[in-house]
Amino acid sequence: MPPSQCFPGFALLALDRAAHHSIASRSLLALPHTPRFSTSAPRYGPPPRKGMVAPPKRGTKTLNVKKGKSSPSRDTTKRPAPGDRKALRKRIVLSNNNALEVPTLQDLHKDTVLSGENEGLVKGLPEDVVDALRAVEAFKPTQGWRLFRRPAILMRKETTLLAALFREVEGTANGQAKMTVRKVLIGERMSGKSTMLLQGLTMAFMRDWVVVNLPDAKDITIAHTEYAPLPGSQPTQYTQDIYTANLLSQIAKANQSILGNLPVTTNHSLPIPLPSKSTLKQLAELAITNPEASWPIFVALWKELTQPGRPPIMLAIDNLSHIMRNSEYLSADVKPIHAHDLALVRHFVDRLAGKTPLPNGGMILAATSGSNAPTSPALDFSIQVAEARQLNPESIPQWNPYKNVDQRVMECLKDVGVLKVAGLTKAEARSIMEYYAASGMLRAQVTEPFVTEKWSLAGMGNIGELERVSVRLRV
Amino acid sequence: MPPRLNIGSFARGIRYRAQRQSQWRIQPVIRTAIPRCRFYSDEKDPPVATRSKRIDSQSLPVVSEEAAKMAKITGTEGPELEQGTPIEEVVKDDKEAISKLPKVMQNALKAKPLDSTPKCSRSYSTTTTPTTAGGVDLGLVDFNLKTRPEVPGVKFGLPTLPIPKDAHVKHRYDPVVDQVTNLLMRHGEKSVAQRNMALILEHLRTAPIPTINPTRPLIPGAPPPSHLPLNPILYLTLAIDSVAPLLRIRSQRGAAGGGVALQIPVPLGQRQRRRTAVQWILAAATRRRHVGSGKGGFAQRVAQELISVVEGRSGVWERRNAVHKLGVAARANVVLPRKR
Repeated sequence: MPPSQCFPGFALLALDRAAHHSIASRSLLALPHTPRFSTSAPRYGPPPRKGMVAPPKRGTKTLNVKKGKSSPSRDTTKRPAPGDRKALRKRIVLSNNNALEVPTLQDLHKDTVLSGENEGLVKGLPEDVVDALRAVEAFKPTQGWRLFRRPAILMRKETTLLAALFREVEGTANGQAKMTVRKVLIGERMSGKSTMLLQGLTMAFMRDWVVVNLPDAKDITIAHTEYAPLPGSQPTQYTQDIYTANLLSQIAKANQSILGNLPVTTNHSLPIPLPSKSTLKQLAELAITNPEASWPIFVALWKELTQPGRPPIMLAIDNLSHIMRNSEYLSADVKPIHAHDLALVRHFVDRLAGKTPLPNGGMILAATSGSNAPTSPALDFSIQVAEARQLNPESIPQWNPYKNVDQRVMECLKDVGVLKVAGLTKAEARSIMEYYAASGMLRAQVTEPFVTEKWSLAGMGNIGELERVSVRLRV
Repeated sequence: MPPRLNIGSFARGIRYRAQRQSQWRIQPVIRTAIPRCRFYSDEKDPPVATRSKRIDSQSLPVVSEEAAKMAKITGTEGPELEQGTPIEEVVKDDKEAISKLPKVMQNALKAKPLDSTPKCSRSYSTTTTPTTAGGVDLGLVDFNLKTRPEVPGVKFGLPTLPIPKDAHVKHRYDPVVDQVTNLLMRHGEKSVAQRNMALILEHLRTAPIPTINPTRPLIPGAPPPSHLPLNPILYLTLAIDSVAPLLRIRSQRGAAGGGVALQIPVPLGQRQRRRTAVQWILAAATRRRHVGSGKGGFAQRVAQELISVVEGRSGVWERRNAVHKLGVAARANVVLPRKR
């Protein structure tokens, strides 16, 4: 998979230099003269003999680059190539050959994944789903997948709630308008929000939805990928071609079984020719070779997916607060660009706000982050309001009128729902700790007092902390 | 429901003399409310009480109180000391009556009994789970107030013997892990050292099974190598104990004469042996190439050094052998206590 970021313009620089060089040589031809300063003679002459060079005068400082006792021996071995260190740091390992195979672990099945009977059980992920999840970068390097034999998830209470939403979307009758669920996952740090997002993606993959996942909003807004104004947009929007091309290749790879069977039905005015009778997969893959056309391709793909009779769409993003503020990009008049002015973010935010519903139904899921979240007061406030709307509608908090408000964020999150990812119950904690023990990663007898002890050490069932105190041997 | 005032729990009985019924009748209707004791404004002691602490100088309690005490001693039912009408209990299941209660009492009835969780941003907070209806469950292990033990003078029962080794708060972790963590620590940053320790153990448990070199034997009684990754603490202990030197060489000035220091081998205790071994391993790990980036680099290098120690590839083994060889050569210098 090509990285989302790249440094453009080196080729242009080289061209520039060549141009200047040619000018210089021509001017030299016109005016030949001897150079006043040249290092050629000493460079190409024989090396001076040892006694010939006079020692430096007393008291003068000289540069000493000799290898000696005073200078430590330098490591002359080859350094890792650029990007290798980061690749090593961000590597996703999903299996540990030392961990024991859990005999009782059963895979999720397409028919039962949405039923409530799985609640409180640890379930394995089927291999094709793991590949798809890996393709959309749903696994994160900080999560503990590398400790176990194969990826498995705990079906907790919140998962059941999410599954109920899936059932609602799928259960709408033919005549009615299809439902679009819009939810923001909230919760404390390490409470499993990203994993809950992954569970949502899993369900979507298993139910043959089309999945579009923006793995980390930070990558879109921190100005590490190139951008260009979108022609004909008012106010100006900005496309990110390399990132969009990468996203389209991820979509094509993760949903290949679905997109490979859907033909292109309408005529799109794309800058590059599309072969007749092509599938949506071919349409998406067109962007890999033509990243400059990736935004029109993305728009065309979305238009195809929203034709009647197409599968529901799962649109997800992690680390929401990065797109609820100004991005790091600058406009032509050196003003910060609001993240909602980036075309890709705008596309997501319009769906999250409910401005453009999904005609075939689907789910818009956004997860907040507890560990890498820039402050976004409007987002925090909107989450508080949404929580209050669910819990006690009598006392809804009011925005402090003396504070600046990011009106676009408030507009966007006006009526979005939240799903709070809280702590595990003790039964759930016991279930996952039994899985830890069966994998050989937890060397203890899983008894009631033991579970209770770890559960309370983990801040009353915060799953990240639970993993930390029980599996990771973090003192 | 807030608990009613329990007068019996006061250190000293509050004197209250029941007024006669005839006095009540002549008072206006409003005044005939529930009689109240105003504890902060009323006089604590009746005027007859003196300041003396002697029992015989203190005034007798009120009749009803005395009767209650007597009844308690004799084990019979005495007079009810509590004053006022228990309105909350009376209207408990009567919705209509509750709706006619004064606002203050309604609010008091409505208020949740310490059930709402406080706001807190800590990850280790105790707020993660919304508490259930049955009150706050703090997850205290084996802490049951209802079953008081029969042993007198012990509040929470006697512990079961023998007390486990890690029951002491200062020795709750494995001694090797503790020692290595402290040796990993730089500039007093123990939390960083603990994180590195956890990462080292994680590397050990995800690394492939080591192959043992027969020329570098591990300590006798070592488990088969296939068991090691599943028990990373044992892995660590085994690596450290296997290369730990048995002795150190002490150089005594002037003992040999002629300006030469006398080399005297000195035996080491277990903790000292481990310390030496860990310092050797850490020195070897620092010299390794740093391949990755980020926080876990050093932990990874230490873990690789530990694995190479167990596999017999590490240079630490040579160091240990050199110390042992020198010790054997200098064994004549050991001064033993004279035999009688």
